[in-house]
Amino acid sequence: MTLRQRTADRLVGYLFITPQLVGSAVFVLLPLCLVLWYSLHEWNVLAGSFEFVGGENYQALLDDPALPSVLRATGLFSAGLVVFNLSLALLLAVLLNQKLRGLTVYRTLFFSPVVVSLVAWTIVWGFLLQSNGGVNGLLDTIGVEGPNWLRNGTSAMVSVVAVQVFKNVGLNMVLFLAALQGVPHELYEAAELDGASAWTRFRRITIPMISPTILLTSIITVVGSLQVFAQIAVLTQGGPGTSTTVLVYYLYQQAFQFHHFGYGSTLAILLFVIVLALTLVQWQMRKRWVFHES
Amino acid sequence: MRWKSTAIAAAALLALSACGNGDDTKEADGPVSLRMTIWTANEAHLKLFNAIADEYKSTHPNVTDIKFDSLPFDTYTTALTTQIAGGNQPDLAWILENSAPDFVSSGALVPLDDTLQKTDGYQFDDLAAGPRKLWETQGKLYAYPFSTSPFGVFVNTDLVKQAGQQTPAELIAAGQWNWDNALKLGAAVNAKSGKAGLVVRDFDYKTWNNLASFWGGWGAQAWSADGKTCGFDKPEMVEAMTTLHKAVFTDKALPGPGVSADFFAGDAAMTITQISRASLLKNTFGWDLVPLPQGKVGSYAVFGQAGIGVFKKSRHAAAAQEFLAFMTSPANSAKLAAYFPPPRTSQLTAETLAKTNPLLKPDQLQKVVVDGIAKGQVGPSHAGFAELSQTVRAALDPLWQPQADVKAVLSGVCAKIAPQLAKS
Amino acid sequence: MNRKVVVYGLLSVLCIPFVFPTWWMVTSSFKPTSEIFSYPPRLLPSHWQFGAYREVFELQPFAQQYWNSLYIAAIVTVGTMAVASLSGWAFARIRFPGQNVLFIVVLTGLLIPSEVTIVPLFQLFNRAGLIDTHWPLILVPMLGAPSVLATFIMRQYFVTLPRELEEAARVDGLGRFATFWRIGLPLARPALGAVGIFTFLSSWNLFLEPVVYLSTKEKFTLPQALTQYVDAYGGPMWDVQLAAASLTALPVLVVFVIAQRQFVEGLAHTGLKG
Repeated sequence: MTLRQRTADRLVGYLFITPQLVGSAVFVLLPLCLVLWYSLHEWNVLAGSFEFVGGENYQALLDDPALPSVLRATGLFSAGLVVFNLSLALLLAVLLNQKLRGLTVYRTLFFSPVVVSLVAWTIVWGFLLQSNGGVNGLLDTIGVEGPNWLRNGTSAMVSVVAVQVFKNVGLNMVLFLAALQGVPHELYEAAELDGASAWTRFRRITIPMISPTILLTSIITVVGSLQVFAQIAVLTQGGPGTSTTVLVYYLYQQAFQFHHFGYGSTLAILLFVIVLALTLVQWQMRKRWVFHES
Repeated sequence: MRWKSTAIAAAALLALSACGNGDDTKEADGPVSLRMTIWTANEAHLKLFNAIADEYKSTHPNVTDIKFDSLPFDTYTTALTTQIAGGNQPDLAWILENSAPDFVSSGALVPLDDTLQKTDGYQFDDLAAGPRKLWETQGKLYAYPFSTSPFGVFVNTDLVKQAGQQTPAELIAAGQWNWDNALKLGAAVNAKSGKAGLVVRDFDYKTWNNLASFWGGWGAQAWSADGKTCGFDKPEMVEAMTTLHKAVFTDKALPGPGVSADFFAGDAAMTITQISRASLLKNTFGWDLVPLPQGKVGSYAVFGQAGIGVFKKSRHAAAAQEFLAFMTSPANSAKLAAYFPPPRTSQLTAETLAKTNPLLKPDQLQKVVVDGIAKGQVGPSHAGFAELSQTVRAALDPLWQPQADVKAVLSGVCAKIAPQLAKS
Repeated sequence: MNRKVVVYGLLSVLCIPFVFPTWWMVTSSFKPTSEIFSYPPRLLPSHWQFGAYREVFELQPFAQQYWNSLYIAAIVTVGTMAVASLSGWAFARIRFPGQNVLFIVVLTGLLIPSEVTIVPLFQLFNRAGLIDTHWPLILVPMLGAPSVLATFIMRQYFVTLPRELEEAARVDGLGRFATFWRIGLPLARPALGAVGIFTFLSSWNLFLEPVVYLSTKEKFTLPQALTQYVDAYGGPMWDVQLAAASLTALPVLVVFVIAQRQFVEGLAHTGLKG
């Protein structure tokens, strides 16, 4: 490459990323810096006072008796969501990747919640999960007595995870389906000739071949799981007790409901650090197990 | 180069937003536009407000626009606070009773006494002391209590009669309208029809402050009047909550947690709610409105309130106060009384209220509204109510299980909220 | 034969939680209020009522709100596809100093929930005089944190295209932009499709932001409008809410049903694979 070409390359490169970069600077980095700045203050919105308190909010974070339970709920929610979402998405994709008639109809049905408004979806589920709601009515017909879903710590957590999975698993399902259909058929035929069982073929061919998609979907799902808000607000409001008070919801409570904007900003920084760490870990892991990433 | 200027712009914005409190409080000359945040999105309400605003604008040509912003009720205070934090506070705002102490004591609002008193024909002394109390501090009124709505019991007389029970009206006539009998009635209807007995509206085992309409009968309080001492572990509260727990889980007089039942759709025999909900009745069943049953302490009443305040930081604080004075003048207050029971003594009579509440009989209005406001107490409120309320909600959750140890749970509530009460 | 039964059976059971809520939402919008919460739930109304659908349009400028949501989502989608494919291409296929650092800087946007930055963003837009306009709902998703996921997907896709691509383009005498426009973009159709759908849906479902930024009914978006069908005391009018919710969901569902073959099969043809 000549020097001139390289200079032109650079210029075009910078030009191409300018909109994104300016957007990031104004709408991401600047607000983030402001949040960091707020986190060093005691900010009473109503009284209009804004006082510098240094690291006091961070000290309060360490001393916050509610924090361990919040982190626990966040961890449970995210882990449950990722495992349930990815495995269900993969299962559905494998089932739909058969050469059978009428599967398009099922594909449409599984995807349909994705396009329903989140608020409407959650409100409807709120009713279905009442102790005299549709879910228990359905369980009743097969002779099972369902729990009072949203009023019991464990089942409330299961409920919010499930509602979120049913809403969005369709996206991951479609991505997996696309990936599955991209796996060359010859590989399976060759393996079958070698006498590999269906499970072995799945583990040795399917999984490695679609690993980039698994990485992509897991990053999207993990990041999304840490941002869950409307579902919690509508279904449980963090309860019963504090069993479903995840970090974003706690942040929302502190900042917007309790008017502790300074402390809320501190929690925002904590959330940011957690997401950053998790993403870095996942990104590092890709080198280990993602097949043919360049 | 580009980076440099971005960085400078960023720094400038940062500085601006961090100390943006100073200079935008000046009274602006020229055309004035006012904005009031409200939580109703009801057509009839808005029509009335806009009519009042139009009338005001016609006599005040410098006021070009008066806008009523409906924010969703559930997130009302949150959305309002966000607007304030972002520097976009409205000129006037509705304030819920439970966040009244926060707003009143914060210094965010303008004291209204002077403007209201000097307004011609306002009759400031007509405002009753009871409704005003929550909105005053150090002898100044910081928000106008435009709605004072007592809790009463709506009865589905069809369901009661089907269950072969005496109606609350008959019980009142016999001098037996007390909580014992009310709960028995609820349980009997439930046993007979499978419908819900008594529903505490909007409580849903979360919004616990609505229970004040119940435990008031035992003289119980969430906390002492000065807000410093927890009331949940007091004997009267334990007794009230034990009664409630038994009524829910043993006698099924109230639908349990996680069961939805809407009185106005005909799903329940009785509901405790504010009388303003009468407009939800569609006359698909026979109904009645009666005062709260007598409790251990005899008859009692509880009401909910809403106030309108003017923000100090409003660019048109003076104009906003004048408009508020107009909106709540004797004439307009009488119009608003169609939906919001007014704080004016002269208008708090069964006859005046009956004119604008065609659904209710003067007798019902007298017993529930007029007497209720005269002797009643406003529901729980406290500085930092949102946080306090959330803590109580979480600590009360274990109570809503069949096997709960009422006394232990209530002591637990006090242990949790003690630090927050101590701060006040 | 056996396998067929298992697959169909499993799929039929699994799709209950996906289908039933939508079914319930749509059918309940035709039920009288007293029937909406009957237990056990009814699959169909005992007698059909259509009044709720009339009220949807009477109580609010619903058609206007529909248009707001639609045009905002359309602009955001097209804008995000443009922004993300440009920067995705640059990060994947052009070498320039600071590339990796800048990519990581951009990626931080992926890590920030909107609740975190809503207060400072509100302040910025307030200073710019853009409160109660649609600009915040367009600019932030298109250029800010939400667009980063799109950039990430595009970059991941462009990285997988063969190196020889630029060589061939140069032989054909294509410039840098033409290479991107005439070769890169058409090849990236499946990824663009995924980005388009993600973006459209997240804009369509945006809830917190409109509530915070908008205050005039005529400017509301759909999710926000849904919460406004309440009686005088903030109690929801269930039949009307459900009717409005059905109206927001059904057209998108129909579009999806029609376009899904192109979408899914388009993805499959080239495959979103490493």
